[in-house]
Amino acid sequence: MPGYLLRRLAAAALLLWLVLTATFVLLRLVPGDPAAMVSELPIPRQQKIIIIHTYGWDRPLPEQYVRWLGAVVLHGDWGFSFAQLRPVSTVVAEALPATLLLAAAALLIEYGVGTALGVAAARHGGSALDKSIRVVTLLLYSQPVFWLGLMAVLVFSYWLGWLPASHMQSVGADEMGRGAQLADLGKHLVLPAMTLGLAQAGGAARFVRASLLDVMGRDYIRTARAKGLPERRVIWVHGMRGALVPVIQLLALSVTGLLSGALITEVVFAWPGLGRVTYDAILARDSPVLLATTAISAVLVVGCNLVADLLHAAADPRVRDA
Amino acid sequence: MRPDPIMRHGLQRSRWDSPSSALDNQSRPRRLPARLRLAVLAVLTVLTVFIGALAGAGCGRHAGGVQQGAAGAARPGPQAGAGATAASSPSAPGQPRRGGTIVTGWTTEPNGVNELIAPATSAQQEVIIQLFLRLVREDANFDKHPPTFSPALARSYEWSPDRKTLTFHLRENVRWSDGVPVTADDVRWTWQAQTSPEVAWAYSYMKTQIADVEAVDPHTVRVHFKRVYAKQMLDINEGGILPRHVWAQVPFSRWRQSADWFKQHLVVDGPFTIASWKPKQELVLVRNPGYFDPNRPHLDRVVMRIIPDQASILAQLGSGELDFTPAFSPADAPQIAGNPRLRLLAYPYRSWVAVGWNNARQPFSDPAVRRALSMALDRPAIVETIWGKFGRVGESPILSVVWAYDRALRPLPYDPAAARGILAAKGFAAGPDGVLRRGGKPFAFEISTNLGNQQRVDALVMIQEQLRRIGVRAEPRQMEFNSLNQRLEAGDFDATLTGFSMDTSLDLTTPFHSREIGSTNLTRYSNPEVDRLIDHAMSQVDLAQATPDLDRIQEILHRDQPYTFLWESDRLSGLNRRLHGVEPSMLYSFYDLKDWWIEPSPKR
Repeated sequence: MPGYLLRRLAAAALLLWLVLTATFVLLRLVPGDPAAMVSELPIPRQQKIIIIHTYGWDRPLPEQYVRWLGAVVLHGDWGFSFAQLRPVSTVVAEALPATLLLAAAALLIEYGVGTALGVAAARHGGSALDKSIRVVTLLLYSQPVFWLGLMAVLVFSYWLGWLPASHMQSVGADEMGRGAQLADLGKHLVLPAMTLGLAQAGGAARFVRASLLDVMGRDYIRTARAKGLPERRVIWVHGMRGALVPVIQLLALSVTGLLSGALITEVVFAWPGLGRVTYDAILARDSPVLLATTAISAVLVVGCNLVADLLHAAADPRVRDA
Repeated sequence: MRPDPIMRHGLQRSRWDSPSSALDNQSRPRRLPARLRLAVLAVLTVLTVFIGALAGAGCGRHAGGVQQGAAGAARPGPQAGAGATAASSPSAPGQPRRGGTIVTGWTTEPNGVNELIAPATSAQQEVIIQLFLRLVREDANFDKHPPTFSPALARSYEWSPDRKTLTFHLRENVRWSDGVPVTADDVRWTWQAQTSPEVAWAYSYMKTQIADVEAVDPHTVRVHFKRVYAKQMLDINEGGILPRHVWAQVPFSRWRQSADWFKQHLVVDGPFTIASWKPKQELVLVRNPGYFDPNRPHLDRVVMRIIPDQASILAQLGSGELDFTPAFSPADAPQIAGNPRLRLLAYPYRSWVAVGWNNARQPFSDPAVRRALSMALDRPAIVETIWGKFGRVGESPILSVVWAYDRALRPLPYDPAAARGILAAKGFAAGPDGVLRRGGKPFAFEISTNLGNQQRVDALVMIQEQLRRIGVRAEPRQMEFNSLNQRLEAGDFDATLTGFSMDTSLDLTTPFHSREIGSTNLTRYSNPEVDRLIDHAMSQVDLAQATPDLDRIQEILHRDQPYTFLWESDRLSGLNRRLHGVEPSMLYSFYDLKDWWIEPSPKR
C-alpha cells in the first residue's frame, strides 16, 4: 500500500505541475496579457514602464514562470491581482469558503437525491416508477446549469417569492442575531445548491441504479435473502456496500462537475465564491487570479481523485496490486 | 491606446469603446419573441415545479423575509409591450422625505476607493463621486451649451486676465469625515499624486498642461496653466480631492500595493461614505453626517448589490428586491414598462456606433465609394430593428443631443440605386454572379466586430444583406476583443463595426486626427483641413467660439464618410415608483443621488 500511495502522489504532483505550467503559458500566449494591457493605457511611457516593472512583467517569460512557480511552491505567494490591486491569496481566501459551502451542500443534494432515486428505480426495476425516474433523471442531467438556475429564480423567487434570488445574505443581515443570520444564509443557499446539486443528481441516480441492479443479481444477495433478511436490509446494507465502489469513483468525478457548474451557478446567483472570482478574472484578464483559481480547482480535482483511488484500493486489494 | 469602458465625467478624450461598456451591457440578454417566450415559460414552469416537488422537503415554505415581503400580493409576470415608457424622471408627489434605504443592482463591482490606482469601472466611478468632492461640478446641460460648472468643494473661482491662472476659493465649512478641515493643501497634494509617475494614474495626461497648483492660504488654491486652451477647467477638475492628512501616510511608490489600506482608512467629504463592503456581494453607502450641506442627502443608505447576471437583475427589479438598476436592454423595456410598480427612464447616452472603413485600403480610400456604401445601408431600418424608439440614426460624431451638433446636416438618404450609380461611375460592374467587379476583382470584403455584442452582430447581418442587394459582398466576422483591437490598430482590416464614447469637450482628435493614426484613428482617416480645424477648435478659450470649426468638421466628415454612422442610443434605467428625485444624466446614473428620496414602505 505505501508503494501504491507514493506512486499515486507522484502522479498527482506531476499532473498538477503540468496543469499549472500549461495554464501559465496559455495565459501569456492569448492576446491581452498584462504587459500588453498596460502598454495600451493612455499614460506616459515612463509610467507604463514603472507599472510593468513593478509587477515583473518586463522579465523574460521563463524567468517570470520560474519566479511565479517558486513563489507559489516555496512561499504560497500567488502574486498580486492586477484588476483588484490586492494579493491574490486574499482574493482567493475570501472566496474559497463560499464555494466549499456551496459545493458541500450541492454534493449532499446530489448524493441524497441521486441515491434515493437510484435505489427506488433499481428496487422497482422495469416498473412505471423506474421509467418515470429515468425520464426525470435524464431531464435533470441534460439541462444546462445556467438554465436550471434561471428557471429556479423565475419560479421560486420571482413567481412564488419563497426564496431569495441571489447573494449569501439579505440586505441588512449584519444587523440580525447569529441564529437569524444562519437561517438567512441557509435560505440563500437553497436555490444555488439545488441548481448545482440536482443537475448532478440525475447522473448519480442513473449510476446508482445501474450499479445496484448489477449487484442485486449476485449470489451473496441471494444468500442474504435466503437467510430471511428484510429486503430493506438486503438493499441498504448488503446491496449498497457492493454498489459503493463505482459510486466512490463517481464522487471524484463529481468534483469536476461541481467546480465547473459552480462557475455558472455563482454568476447566476451572485454567489461570492471562486467561480465568481474566476469569471471576473476572465473578463478583466487578471492572469494572476486566473492562475490561482485554476490551480485550486486542479488541486481539488486531483486531490479528490487521489482520495477516491485510495479508498478504492482500500476496498479492493486487486487495484493496489495491479 | 486601450479602449476605455468608462464614460468618465465629460473630461476625457473620446474613446473607442469596449465590449464591457455600460452601453454594451444593455445588449447582453437576448430575449425570445413574446409569444414564444410565454410558451417556453409554460413548459419550463411545469418542469421546474416537478423539480421542486422532487426536492420538496429541502425547499420548504419560507416566510417572505426582508426581500419578499411585498412580492406575493402583486407579483407581476413578464408583460410584453404593455404601458408607456417615461422619457424623464417622475415628478415626485409631495415633499422629499429624509431617511430610508434603497437597493440598487449592478453587474460590475467597484475596484477600490482610490480612483488614482483602481482600474475604472462604471460602478466605481458612481461610488467615487459620492465619496470625494471635486473642485466644481460639471452641469449636465451640454445639450444647450459648452460645459458649465457649479460650486462643489470650491464656492467660487476666477480667471486671471490672461486666463493662464485660475483661482479657486474653497468652502470653509467642508470637513473630512474625521473632522479635519478640507484645505488647499489637500488640493495641491492631490494634484501631486495625480501627476506622480509612481502612482501612474491612467488619466494623468489630463494634467500635463498644468504647471503648478499653489496653496495660497488654507482656502485659496491657484492653478497655473502652461497655456490657454478650451479644456482648462475640465482638466483641473478631473478627479476628486483626496485626504492628504490620512492617505499621505503611504508613499506614492507603495500606492499600487495598498488598495485595501485605502479602503480601511477611508475618510470622505462627499455626501455618502461606505458603511460596509463585502467583495462580490454588496457595497453599502450611508449618509455622511459631516457633509457640508445639512439638507442632503435625503437617503440614509444606498445598497449596491453586485449581480453579474443581467437577467437576474431584471427578475429582482420585477420582484421588488431592487429599487433601481442603471442599465438594461431595450428588449427588456416592455417588461419594465408593463410592471405597475416600476418606472422606465430613457435618456441619451454619450456614444455613437458606426461602420469604419479602412481609408488606407482600396476601394475604401475613395470617399465616393464610402459614400455609396453609406447610401446602400437602410440605417433607419437597422436602428428601428435593434433599438426601437430608444435609438436614433447617427449623422455625426457629435451627438444630436449635444449643443454643437450641426443641425444643418442633411441625413444621407437610403438610396441603393444612387449607390449603384456612384459605384458604376467608379468602374464597378456586375459580374455573372451579380457581384460588382473592377479590374476583374470582386467587390468583396470582411467586416468585423467584437464578440459578445449582440446588437452589433445583428446589425452586421442586416448590413451584409443590404450590401448584397447592390452587388457588394460583405463577410461578417466576430473576433475576441483584444485580437480585434490589435488588428484594428495595425490597420489590418477592411471594415469594422465599432463605437466611440464622446466627452463634453467635443475633442475629435482621438477618432479623426491624423496624428492618432496607428492608435485610435482606426480608419486611418487623414485630412489636413480636419486636423487644422480640430487643433483650432481645441485651442479656443471658449468652446462656443469653436462652433464654426466644429460645424465645418462635421460637414467634411459627412461628406467624406470615414465612418458610416449608424446609431446613437438611449440608456435605459429602471426604478421603483416609490423612488423620487431621480435624474440620471449622460454623466452618471448617480449624478444627483443626494437628491433622491423614497416613500416609506413597510418592507424596509
